[in-house]
Amino acid sequence: MAPIIKIEDLEKTYENGFQALKGVDLDIEEGEVLALLGPNGAGKTTLISIICGLAKATKGKVTVGGHDISHDFRKAREMIGLVPQEMSIEIFERVQANVRHSRGLFGKPRNDEYIERVLKDLTLWDKKDNRIRELSGGMKRRVMIAKALSHEPRILFLDEPTAGVDVELRKEMWDVMTELKKSGVTIILTTHYIEEAEAMADRVGVISKGELLLVEETDTLMKSLGKKMLEIELDEPIDALPEALAARGVALGEGGATLEYYYDTAAEKTGITDLLAEVRKAGLTMSDLSTRQSSLEDIFVDLVAQQKEKDEETAA
Amino acid sequence: MNFRAIAAIYKFEMARTFRSIGQSVISPVVSTSLYFVVFGTAIGSRIDTVEGIAYGAFIVPGLMMLQMLMQSVSNAALGIYFPKFVGTIYEVLSAPISVPEIVMGYVGAAATKALMIGLIILGTASFFVDLQIAHPLAMLAFMVLTCVTFAMFGFIIGIWADNFEQVNLIPMLVITPLVFLGGAFYSISMLPEAWQTVALFNPVVYLVSGFRWSFFAMSDVPVGISLVAIAVVLVLCLTAITAIFRTGWKLRS
Repeated sequence: MAPIIKIEDLEKTYENGFQALKGVDLDIEEGEVLALLGPNGAGKTTLISIICGLAKATKGKVTVGGHDISHDFRKAREMIGLVPQEMSIEIFERVQANVRHSRGLFGKPRNDEYIERVLKDLTLWDKKDNRIRELSGGMKRRVMIAKALSHEPRILFLDEPTAGVDVELRKEMWDVMTELKKSGVTIILTTHYIEEAEAMADRVGVISKGELLLVEETDTLMKSLGKKMLEIELDEPIDALPEALAARGVALGEGGATLEYYYDTAAEKTGITDLLAEVRKAGLTMSDLSTRQSSLEDIFVDLVAQQKEKDEETAA
Repeated sequence: MNFRAIAAIYKFEMARTFRSIGQSVISPVVSTSLYFVVFGTAIGSRIDTVEGIAYGAFIVPGLMMLQMLMQSVSNAALGIYFPKFVGTIYEVLSAPISVPEIVMGYVGAAATKALMIGLIILGTASFFVDLQIAHPLAMLAFMVLTCVTFAMFGFIIGIWADNFEQVNLIPMLVITPLVFLGGAFYSISMLPEAWQTVALFNPVVYLVSGFRWSFFAMSDVPVGISLVAIAVVLVLCLTAITAIFRTGWKLRS
């Protein structure tokens, strides 16, 4: 099946010379949830802005449902709903009227039944006649989602839907997304929380400094990201690593005073018990033990390094 | 053509107007009444007639023009500046709407409001002076043309503006002096000859003159020239707006 969104060699350089996107290629399949993961300033919002018509690409091509976003912008945009990162909403308007207005902007005939369903799904029906300024922050966010869904889009963009929201609201947003996914809507969300990508997405794209480093099935990625390091401090530094330990994948730290062992937290056997037995057998005395989860930053550094290696391999 | 989108923007903007209908209407009514008290009654009682028309009636077209120009410019400027300021512009930019459609929605609503206020002032004026309108249809046509043209001008200002001061600057600094110097309260023929020539470079002179013709069947400049002048301003604004959206200036980065 043809991808619902096809991005080819997309580049964006802002007027001040900042290059936000450096040749992004990406296919998004219909019905999937894709999380774009990356630190602030990575280019996530720029990418979304270009697809949705808020910004212009410097170079490259994007099609939505086979329609080019610049030549055939009407057909392309009709398919898309956008929930921006900022809380941008007319606070003096009433909820239902404002959602209806959004539907009108997309050229759809009035359909009160559909709007009612959207508002009910988002538990906004009780508030339909309230002015938006009377709603809580979480409710306002829901109104923005309702507006984005008002014209029955097949694709929904959620730009950092849970940035700066409390734990409870984040859970709520996740529930909303799960329901939407069930209804067959393709969802693209940006986030800088790994847990969010893990909980919601079928695939994860990692973006950093304007480059899409990789796009991977979430399960596969999480396995490679779910690694921990066990660090064993030794009483006395050693010159060489005993063979039995080396065979288990242990590395000797700088100065020979520490042993480093990477293991997969999700694996059935982490190998820690056996490893500790081997350490004793080798006659080494431990002074301390610690474990460390790789941080998002480590992961990016890793990914960039991996990507470079790959590039060099293909070049060779 | 996405007519529903035009209607959506138009209705949204009109709803904003009607939310504050009191302020929207009271302020022009009060200021017009003041003009009548000062110019019509106090000073006007000594001027008597201008070109054979009672002074109180003579200033009505100019007063209407002043308010309509101010209102159409500032309504349209605020109409587009406000969503830019609060960020809700994203919705219009991401919707399947073309440039002419966006303009029709915003400019249409701003022009409607200015037109309404023009008519309210006409109603207020009829309490103070005895008015005969020679060409009512031409009067309406002039009102519509003026409101639409200057709403476009306001729309451009709203897009250009980076803060609220700039939104208010042009109506205050440009429109008001042009109207006052444009023969709103006097006939150009009352000016010394040298100033008459200068006045002919003021586009508002043509607006006021043409509009006055529709009331009293007399004008400073021929009506045809007035129409050409409005058409020129209209075309200039349309060209500027087309260029703005084609390049995405100040809207799409």
